[in-house]
Amino acid sequence: MAENQVVLNVQDLKIGIKMEEGLLTPVRGVNFDLHTNETLGLVGESGCGKSLSCKAILGINSKNCITTGAIEFIEKDGEKKDIVSMSCAGKEIRKIRGKSISMIFQEPMSAFSPLFTVGRQMVETVYMHVTKDKKTAKEMVLDTMKKVGISNPEKRYRQYPHEFSGGMLQRALIAMALVCNPRILIADEPTTALDVTIQAQILELLKEIQDNYGMAILYITHDLGTVAQICDRVAVMYLGRIIETAPTKELFANPVHPYTKGLLGSVHKIGGGSGRLFSIEGSVPLAMNLEDRCGFYDRCTDKDVLLCGGVEPGLKQVGEDHYAACCLDFKK
Amino acid sequence: MKKKGITSSFEERESDQSEKKRRQQEKYYMASQWQLMGRKLIKHKLAIISFVILGFLYFGALFAPFLAPKGLEDFSGTYSNAPPTKIHMFHEGQFVGPFVYRYKVERDVFENKIFTEDDSEICPIRFFVHGTEYKWLGIIKSDIHLFGVKNPNPDASTDPPQVLLFGADSLGRDLFSRILIGSQVSLTVPLVGTLISFLLAVIIGGISGYYGGIIDTVIQRIIEVISSFPTLPLWMALSAAIPPGISVVQVFVFITIIMSLLSWPPLARTVRSNFLSLKKSDFVLAARLAGVSDWQIICKHLIPGFMSYLIVSLTLGIPNMILGETSMSFLGLGMRAPATSWGVLLQECQSIGNIANCPWKLIPLIFVGLAVLAFNFLGDGLRDAADPYK
Amino acid sequence: MAETILKVENLSKVFTSGKTKIRAVNNVTFHVCQGETVGIVGESGCGKTTLGRCIVRAHQSTEGKVLYRAADGQEYDLQNIDKKQLLKIRREIQMIFQDPYSSLDPRMTVYDIILEPLKANFKDMPKKEMEERVKTMALKVGLNPSYLKRYPHAFSGGQRQRIGIARALILYPRLIVCDEAVSALDVSVQAQVINLLKDLQKEMNLTYLFISHDLSVVEHISDKVGVMYLGQMMEYAPTKQLFRKPFHPYSEALLSAVPIADPEIEMKRIPLNGEIPSPANAPSGCFFHTRCKYVKPQCAKDSVEILEKEEMRYVACHLKDELDLSGIV
Repeated sequence: MAENQVVLNVQDLKIGIKMEEGLLTPVRGVNFDLHTNETLGLVGESGCGKSLSCKAILGINSKNCITTGAIEFIEKDGEKKDIVSMSCAGKEIRKIRGKSISMIFQEPMSAFSPLFTVGRQMVETVYMHVTKDKKTAKEMVLDTMKKVGISNPEKRYRQYPHEFSGGMLQRALIAMALVCNPRILIADEPTTALDVTIQAQILELLKEIQDNYGMAILYITHDLGTVAQICDRVAVMYLGRIIETAPTKELFANPVHPYTKGLLGSVHKIGGGSGRLFSIEGSVPLAMNLEDRCGFYDRCTDKDVLLCGGVEPGLKQVGEDHYAACCLDFKK
Repeated sequence: MKKKGITSSFEERESDQSEKKRRQQEKYYMASQWQLMGRKLIKHKLAIISFVILGFLYFGALFAPFLAPKGLEDFSGTYSNAPPTKIHMFHEGQFVGPFVYRYKVERDVFENKIFTEDDSEICPIRFFVHGTEYKWLGIIKSDIHLFGVKNPNPDASTDPPQVLLFGADSLGRDLFSRILIGSQVSLTVPLVGTLISFLLAVIIGGISGYYGGIIDTVIQRIIEVISSFPTLPLWMALSAAIPPGISVVQVFVFITIIMSLLSWPPLARTVRSNFLSLKKSDFVLAARLAGVSDWQIICKHLIPGFMSYLIVSLTLGIPNMILGETSMSFLGLGMRAPATSWGVLLQECQSIGNIANCPWKLIPLIFVGLAVLAFNFLGDGLRDAADPYK
Repeated sequence: MAETILKVENLSKVFTSGKTKIRAVNNVTFHVCQGETVGIVGESGCGKTTLGRCIVRAHQSTEGKVLYRAADGQEYDLQNIDKKQLLKIRREIQMIFQDPYSSLDPRMTVYDIILEPLKANFKDMPKKEMEERVKTMALKVGLNPSYLKRYPHAFSGGQRQRIGIARALILYPRLIVCDEAVSALDVSVQAQVINLLKDLQKEMNLTYLFISHDLSVVEHISDKVGVMYLGQMMEYAPTKQLFRKPFHPYSEALLSAVPIADPEIEMKRIPLNGEIPSPANAPSGCFFHTRCKYVKPQCAKDSVEILEKEEMRYVACHLKDELDLSGIV
């Protein structure tokens, strides 16, 4: 297999929202890169800024979000494009959306308009980016529908979203995202709203299409189970920053950051006995007027007052391809 | 350990600020639904301005006989169709205080009246003058008016001078006074009518929403039938049926009841739909499981739950009633003499000639528009603030 | 052995909407012993929420009995008792809801929310005593009593759930139905609430009926598990035994589909054909036969009953004596 190229490079991404009470900073400096043929899991609880960061990649955040930093997208031919500098409503970013970078969402029912057939909505993407020829476009769509496992695509093409079940509609959404063969697929909690058995099908489907298409998948979730099953690498977010990143197996085996440890401890592994679950004390603070020190300081049980009271730590290497933003020294 | 100098005052300021923020936050945590609504409403400037305007209008209506320089039926042959009098401060170059001049009446070729000011005599405006007697709110007798013109020459043969802020009608009656006194009806009938509708809506809509089943179906069909009648013609028909020789107060009551009988259906629908959606809430189920009685659930959970929406519907329904009453009275089917309302005052505007010669007779229209707009904007603001928990 | 506190016998609930009949709960039978936690799992349309609501008598069932053994030792059929008795028994059975945002009346202070059950049942209790009890309960669930005068909008999801728990426990009930009580919470907050529920169970000798779609949580907290599909109880067994070796093909498929939070373990998902049928158009015979990989002709014809296969293990499958299924170790 060809060496995995970097396809997305996010550097020091910061997003601020001006509110009456002050400046809300839900994203305070996110750094990561994404390679082809790899699934990067972005894990965090509500309020950590993962959705906002990923929406910034497509420039679809609301207008009152102030985005700074660099999001560099590298096309197939090596051309580099900075997404932050593009206007959110401009032509340049619309060329990327749906064609080079696609996104799938949590609620498939609200991602489709109930007024038009599913086929009509899927073919719209093709008209925008590939060809305006109706016959070719329809064929492309039907082909993709088959690839995602929608049986009887001809019939389904003419049906409305309410005639689909949840799982089937999520497949249709994935098909709509794939029809133009994107380089990156951003999946924002795509299986949270689905039943367990359907969730398993969709996860398998995502893995399968990655093998077939060779694209990069940015998988956002709060469910560590799905992360363990389909992600190659994991980045853990807390309070607007990535506080640990490592290959999946390494992260689960040797978590370094106290928050990661706490998170892994809070989740019950099936077959793991019924001992008391570890629970992180307190709750996530509001991302406003934060002091410039480790965001996890108030809730950390491992903290060292001398080492940790200072400036907010950046990501430091703690193992092979394993980085953590923690003041404590974990180097072996 | 306090450090001295600039740093300590900075620290003090910092801790003061955080203390202030903490207290603000605590207030927000302890704010009830109404307090949250109020905070949101205050930010809606148009709604606040409207609220103030309505305040003035209702204040005017409450103290109308006192604020008006003339009584309802004080007429004057000389001043018939007189334009608004100018209020002067200086007479022949000297500051005298507020006063008016008498009008000299002449007739032109077409027998139309021409009014010119007779600037020989000053007719000063005095405050807290004695004038026409009235009974405030029907209880307190008084004859004091806020302002009026002192007659410098009480023995003259012509009618005493008047200050006509908005001109006079065809019988020489002060339009300003009549607008004030008319506002008592124009602003109260819709309000009282709306309150009656409100009660009917809560009771009927509540029963319909809470019990459901056959009761609900029957009530809904009745609502649909009543709603399908065109309002204005029905109002007109019902008011034409009011017997002629009855007293003013009785007419007032009849008109109010007629209007409210036809406006409760849409409100009842709002109440019912809110009841239905709230009934399914988890917290209502929790209350039932806790053993709370049905009646207690209605009073403590359901009614407070939809109260804010109801108030919005009410506020937005009042303009409709204002326009309805004004229209009916304009057409002669509403208030009757000697009572008056803005609609009655507008009756003189039914001929184009009248409007062309005496455009000030359209002034009641401005007040109607102001009241309607004010209620609409206030209702808008309330609606935006209505659900503070969304 | 602990006494049985709840016996559900042939419980059915049918919702009629015009001509369509939806059998949300279909002939469910199981029992719960005092002090234990029974988990009810299933996917959408399986009827677990409706089952929970029928047990607390929020719905009137179409058929069947819900036999509850009250504190006075007598057995009452919750579906068929009169209003007065129901009011008395209701104190002993309470519910914790899924959505922390819609389960608390936003227009009441937290103090009033927790006080409400007390006021409704003990009208003559002096105000001071009621205040004491509310404060004690708040402390028990981990809430700061000085925050009681605040309104729900001041609290986070996890704290609101604690308020809901305090409200459910203020009458010192014996049986609690937890309807997806932790599903709407963040992972770390879930852990806090699960720990709290377990502590309270020990302290107050509570019995839980824990309804959830999250198998990891159910495995952690339950002593016994019931697996539901399209309104029917397909399998009912002690947790460890069911997870190690299920007896019903649906349980096997369900267990194989759960993503385990351990990357070293690879998922061997057992594929299920097709989709979950709509409860309005349930298949004939065994409801699961359209998707079962072990299906035989008999399955499409005859409906199944839940029968005891081994001690304390019940399964509703025609082929229960022939199949050898695998679970998660």
